Amino acid sequence: MSDAVDDTDMTDTATNSGADAPTDAESDLPPHRAAARSGRLDSENRQGTPYTESQVIMPTVKVIAPFAFTFGLFITFHGSGSPGGGFQGGAIMAAVVFMIAFAFGIESTRDWLANTVVVALAVGGALAFAGIGLVPVALGGAFLQYDLLPIPILNPVKYGMEGVEVIGIAPIVAGVLMGLFFLLANGFSSDGGGFGNGSLDEDGSIDEGEPVDDDGSPEAGAADAGGDR
Amino acid sequence: MTGAVPLVTGSVGSVGSVAPVSPVVAQVTAIEASLLAFVVFTALATAFARDVLAAVIVFGAYSLGMAALYTFYRAPDVALTEAAISAGVTTVLLLLTLAKTTRIDHETAFESVNLPAAGAAGFLFAGLLLTMGDIPAIGSPDAPVWSNPDVTQWYLTETYAQTHVENTVMAVLAAFRGFDTFGEAVVVFAGGIAALIVLHREVFA
Repeated sequence: MSDAVDDTDMTDTATNSGADAPTDAESDLPPHRAAARSGRLDSENRQGTPYTESQVIMPTVKVIAPFAFTFGLFITFHGSGSPGGGFQGGAIMAAVVFMIAFAFGIESTRDWLANTVVVALAVGGALAFAGIGLVPVALGGAFLQYDLLPIPILNPVKYGMEGVEVIGIAPIVAGVLMGLFFLLANGFSSDGGGFGNGSLDEDGSIDEGEPVDDDGSPEAGAADAGGDR
Repeated sequence: MTGAVPLVTGSVGSVGSVAPVSPVVAQVTAIEASLLAFVVFTALATAFARDVLAAVIVFGAYSLGMAALYTFYRAPDVALTEAAISAGVTTVLLLLTLAKTTRIDHETAFESVNLPAAGAAGFLFAGLLLTMGDIPAIGSPDAPVWSNPDVTQWYLTETYAQTHVENTVMAVLAAFRGFDTFGEAVVVFAGGIAALIVLHREVFA
């Protein structure tokens, strides 16, 4: 752990370590390999730390996020007249949430964006798509027969499709992608019941307690694995 | 969506009779060539990088190159999907997974070539290369997808009259093949549920 060297010192370190018998191979390494090694050790140390505020990333995301989210909305709502649609727009809006989570911490983003919102997006989108498809069936037509939709004034075919894209596909994609993101961010550990510390009595306060557990055990595993190799 | 406008007009018919390969080569522009080189380079780098983090990042660059290539070939819908899903979301999810696992110390930067795997890949590549001669040149008016009046031309001419939307791709996805799209949306939804089940959790966030 003490050999986390600066890039400027790496030639000295390489020559010093060359004196040791088992590190002859390392002394032969070109400078870019030595730099990569120091970067690896650094990142391995960093794996355990939960989150550090970056004065570069946070303002950048603050500036970019509204524009990216608006772009996602545009791609979703304007999909009938230009390239795009619900799938792409929903993915872009979910990516905005990823961006916010990386800048301001996944756990605080998880608190801010409750599980209810994620589930409501996915389930509501699926139900809305099915509902738009089933309304013409109830009126005696076929599934997704848009021209039977009871939409006044506007063209029912065009705005039925818009409805499918905007309140059907985009929420499903955005909700499921955000859900996958938070699931993966939770990780899983083999202690306790099953993969995910999944008992719900712990989950009442998972947002505070669980990441400590999760970050603790993989770090120990990381140190062991690194030592073995 | 004006349909398949030939990228290079005029030169297809004249050069096409010389040799099956030459019209394709003759039409490659500088942007296209550099994009193709970038994609091939990043694909090889993804395959050969020994460090998984490096492979993930280079794979994101590969997807971005593919998105630019799709845009160049007048498929902006596909390009948007590739950029958003493959270059963006997939890279983020893979990085998140890597952050939860360990990184192995590698002595070398690149994977050593596995000869049987390289042989199998080369065999497949050669087989695919044999079919290249039968693929019509990019933008060729003789390409079946463009010259077919019963399918492609029907959708291009009838989309606005029947659905009142300009984007033919979206009209096909949401209206003409709406039931398939409903199935796809349900598959995405089921994928989220399956991830919950696999990770033994009952809540997403």
